Amino acid sequence: MRVVIADDEVLLRDGLDRLLTEAGFDVVGKAGTAQELRREVELAHPDVAIIDIKMPPTHTDEGLIAAQEIRASNPDVGVLVLSHYLQSRYAMRLIEQHTGGVGYLLKERVSGVGVLADALVRVHDGECVVDPTIVARLLGHARRASPLSQLTERECEVLAQMAEGRSNQGICARLMLSPKTVEGHVRNIFMKLGVGESADDHRRVLAILSYLRSRPE
Amino acid sequence: MARAVRFAVLAAGIAVGVFSLAIARRGAGDSISGGSVFAGAAELIAGYALLAVGLLASVRPRQGRFGAILVAASFAWFLLEWNNPAAGSAIVFTAGLALYAAAPPVVAHAMLAYPDGRVRWWPGRAGLALAYASAVAVLGLAAAAVFDPASEGCAQCPRNLLLIAGSNRMYASLNRTGMYLGLAWAVLLIPLAVAGLVRSAPASRRLAAPVVATGCVYLGLVAADFAHSLPRGFLGTDSVDLRLWLGEAAALCALSLGVTWAWVRARHTRAALARLVVELAESPSPGGLRDVLAAMLRDPSLQLAYPLADGRLVDARCRPVELTGEVTPIVRGGQQLALLSHRPGLLGEPALAGEVAAAASLVLENERLQAEALSQLENLRASRRRIVQAGDAARRRLGRDLHDGAQQRLVTLSLALRLAQTRLEPGPDPAVAERISEAGTQLRAALAGLRELAQGIFPEVLADEGLSAAVDALADEAGIPLKIVAMPAERFGSSVEAAAYFVVSETVRQSRASVRVSAARCDGRLVVEIAGAAAPTNIIELEDRVGTLGGSVEVSCGPDGQAKVRAEIPCES
Repeated sequence: MRVVIADDEVLLRDGLDRLLTEAGFDVVGKAGTAQELRREVELAHPDVAIIDIKMPPTHTDEGLIAAQEIRASNPDVGVLVLSHYLQSRYAMRLIEQHTGGVGYLLKERVSGVGVLADALVRVHDGECVVDPTIVARLLGHARRASPLSQLTERECEVLAQMAEGRSNQGICARLMLSPKTVEGHVRNIFMKLGVGESADDHRRVLAILSYLRSRPE
Repeated sequence: MARAVRFAVLAAGIAVGVFSLAIARRGAGDSISGGSVFAGAAELIAGYALLAVGLLASVRPRQGRFGAILVAASFAWFLLEWNNPAAGSAIVFTAGLALYAAAPPVVAHAMLAYPDGRVRWWPGRAGLALAYASAVAVLGLAAAAVFDPASEGCAQCPRNLLLIAGSNRMYASLNRTGMYLGLAWAVLLIPLAVAGLVRSAPASRRLAAPVVATGCVYLGLVAADFAHSLPRGFLGTDSVDLRLWLGEAAALCALSLGVTWAWVRARHTRAALARLVVELAESPSPGGLRDVLAAMLRDPSLQLAYPLADGRLVDARCRPVELTGEVTPIVRGGQQLALLSHRPGLLGEPALAGEVAAAASLVLENERLQAEALSQLENLRASRRRIVQAGDAARRRLGRDLHDGAQQRLVTLSLALRLAQTRLEPGPDPAVAERISEAGTQLRAALAGLRELAQGIFPEVLADEGLSAAVDALADEAGIPLKIVAMPAERFGSSVEAAAYFVVSETVRQSRASVRVSAARCDGRLVVEIAGAAAPTNIIELEDRVGTLGGSVEVSCGPDGQAKVRAEIPCES
């Protein structure tokens, strides 16, 4: 898989390069600013771009904006945004704009090559990826607690996988369940939460995150 | 007028009155008042009244000139008697010839010059010049110059010292001219005096009205006497003259009373002002003095401004004041206490500003100090606000430094560790790999701690996207369930948002169970409520923060033992 890395920290950029190369990825470009990133994407045409959310000049959300621009201009390039922020609103901003091929991970995930590699593959496959810590937080004390309490333990696990962006197939592999069982759980979850079921994985993520983030009436 | 001079004038005035009455009694046939005790008494009372009131006026501030004119009128009033053949002395007789008609112009002068002795309107001055010219120059001096007592058939008359060449014809024609002129000016000055009264400010008008009214009655009687005397050719002493003259005496007494009444009224005004001011001092309300003064002086546009040490002009509530209209400084003990702006001419009457300063000095001083204190309080508040803002800026910088510096470094470090670990994986010593793996776990815990720390110091999202987004983020990260009931989407001032946010975050941080948060804009205030919370232990810090913005924080305990924190923060810019 061809990957471009954008981070203004040289050490981290290089370390990530080596880590991914060792894990079998093909790092085809590196960038320190949003502008360099756009050029690298045009030149190297990677499968996925890994983008730090904080980039010069203001170090706030330049990376997020660059990611959205890339998704808009190069729909075949997936984007994986790395962030220090645990806030679901940044993830939502990213997912709301684009149908799949986007991911939002906490930056410290870079040291766990397994999670990073998994996320890259999934983004490349057009899925949505949401950091498990963020999902866990949302589920842990969702602002609408009552309907969630009706879910079984297993259903909660499935819901977390759905919120992280996994497809039914991905959930099967992850939880080692049969496709039929997963479909049953998914149907139950949608019914219990009162959220319209959607075949589209991307819409499904959005609906669940919105549900978890929404305020009680 | 010095004290001794005043006593001398008083003695002279009394003596002149007695002396004049003596002449009148002696030459009763040629005198207007000599015929009866009643007329004599009237003459004395009118003259002495003018004398007394004139002398009293002369000691009052700014009424010295007016007093002198009244004293002059008193003398002139008595001089009417001195052209009597029984005068006995040539000097007295001659003085009488020259000045026997001088009383009307002097009284008119006093009326027009009330209350400070100056005639400011030029038509008044012109009318007075005509009056003096006709009464003193024509009827007095010029007529005396051609009046030969002997040829007029007055054998017992003393010598006329002013006589140049006797001429009966000239004498008669000068008398006639003088009377025509007298009739003219007396009739002319009445409307002039009334017009002057109408032109003056309301407060002065009320005080001057009695003086002008009685003065006009007097002038009307004088005009009537001139008209009555014209066919006869000289100012005589028949019964009509006597009645008119008695009326004049009464009018002069009334005029004296009118002047006195104004003093009584001023004293009364001052007493009322003092009473109100005392009431005000007992239950002071900032700005109360202005309202009292505006009501007393019947000028709703009146403004009272206090000069602050920094040169600003403010009212008693320390709001900036723009002075319009006429401005009168209120000075006490050489210090400018306040500035009074009012309708032009409102304080034209003498000493009213002084009266205000005297009566209200305590309240004025009080209000001025209050304005000063409020101004200092405002400065203090602004300084507190700046301190909190500076603190927030520092927190924000610190939070960013943690994110961009320490956190970034730790991430890089964990990556390096990971790389080292992959190199070591097939290594000979499994203990080393285990150590490194342990270090990686520690590092991740440190990162999570650091992230929370940075977020707690100052959330970036608060400055970037406002209160709603920040509380939203807080709900994501808080260790307890946070239910957001209502949150305004609009942006507020950064201090307001920070205060509201920290009330929520501090309360949430210390709570152990789930809490409900709501915020709404209500009557220019941002009202934040956190229900089901534990009472924050650092409530003073929160109160300080909210207090700098003029808001308040309240903690109340519900029956279920759960606290409710409520903060109100003014948010109108």
